[in-house]
Amino acid sequence: MSEAPVDLARELLVQSLAAWRVAGRVQRSPDGTIVICGALKDIRINPAPADLMFRWMVTIDGRRRSAISLVSVLRQVRKALDPGYAANRVRVALTPLVPY
Amino acid sequence: MRADVIPISILTGFLGSGKTTILRYLLRQPGFSRTAVIINEFGEVGLDHELVEASEDSFIELKTGCLCCKIRTDLAQTVQDLLRRRDAGNCSPFDRIVIETSGLADPAPILQTLMTDTSIAGRVVLGGVVTTVDTVTGATTLEREDISQKQVAVADRIVLTKLDLNRPAQPVLLRRLTELNAAAPVLSADRGRIDPQCLLSAGLSDPHARSHDVNSWLAEERHSHARHDADIQTYTVVRKEPIGAITLTLFLETLAEHCGADLLRLKGIVNIAESPDRPAVIHGVQHVFHAPAWLKRWPSDNRSSRIVFITRRVPQRWVEALLEAIGAEVADVSVAR
Repeated sequence: MSEAPVDLARELLVQSLAAWRVAGRVQRSPDGTIVICGALKDIRINPAPADLMFRWMVTIDGRRRSAISLVSVLRQVRKALDPGYAANRVRVALTPLVPY
Repeated sequence: MRADVIPISILTGFLGSGKTTILRYLLRQPGFSRTAVIINEFGEVGLDHELVEASEDSFIELKTGCLCCKIRTDLAQTVQDLLRRRDAGNCSPFDRIVIETSGLADPAPILQTLMTDTSIAGRVVLGGVVTTVDTVTGATTLEREDISQKQVAVADRIVLTKLDLNRPAQPVLLRRLTELNAAAPVLSADRGRIDPQCLLSAGLSDPHARSHDVNSWLAEERHSHARHDADIQTYTVVRKEPIGAITLTLFLETLAEHCGADLLRLKGIVNIAESPDRPAVIHGVQHVFHAPAWLKRWPSDNRSSRIVFITRRVPQRWVEALLEAIGAEVADVSVAR
């Protein structure tokens, strides 16, 4: 994985904590790991090894799980840090916006 | 548009803001003669329906609950019944439905019902949301009543009323309306009188109105630096580079997943990388999205993607970071392949 997605993932997590109004700081450690500290849980996010089909590995309080995309990372982090969170599933409208 | 597809317009606005007065006037206009009316009154004794002259068989009063929370199923059933009666020739013919909400109704769930209910899918299109604002008490109401803010925020057209009592409208009110929804044109009604065409063109269903509406939303860009309300914010996310279809899909899904009811409305014109000459128009209410509609051409030389957000407590910086991060990840995966 190149550097750009990791940097942007870090920035997204910074903005996400602010948007969700949850405590915590997002940092990058010298080995490139994204670390969320000072939050409800200890969270570390790394790019997955190249031989895996996943993009990221997310470790929450020592428990390591894979994430297929940044969207999945965001979901795992939110569930860990925001106890009141309930995901909404997108619905596609049946009524057309513009008749075809 | 298929001949049997009926546009449904929502007429909303806070209590006493002049919805019924406008409806009475509109129903007397030739352009509105073939209109079925659904009025939602909140309370034991409904009065509004007594004030509106409409054909009895194409007029329905929904009461004992508020459309947005208690009787949404009733609404879909009512629309379905109206269509069935129309098909069977058992009521006056109509080619438009207007729903007047109660003054306390949140229009977003009503829109969702109309967009997603399977019983009426394919038979109706959204004709737009018109919100009335009383120029005498409107500024105070907007300050005090969250639901009033939401009614303004989701509007396609805002109609100022009671100007005969308070002309011109207070600058503070106009400023507040711009803060809440800069994209919606603000019209004036003189004792209920208003040009019906102004309201008819509020629809997203009219192909002729479409480019006008797109331009109207995009006017929001000019106001993107306006002072934002603490809760409800309007802003525009602009991207000069085309956005991949997969990026857009993931972006919208994630917005819906994380924002839900706080994503009051989203409208945008998007330069899809896979379709550079035909921009996509996207539209969403809370976690419900329309499939993109494709314009035949760009409405102007500006080919940037511009997405107007009306949200409650969803920061612009988060939305921008989300789009950027997803775009980078999709690009990275594409390169890796």
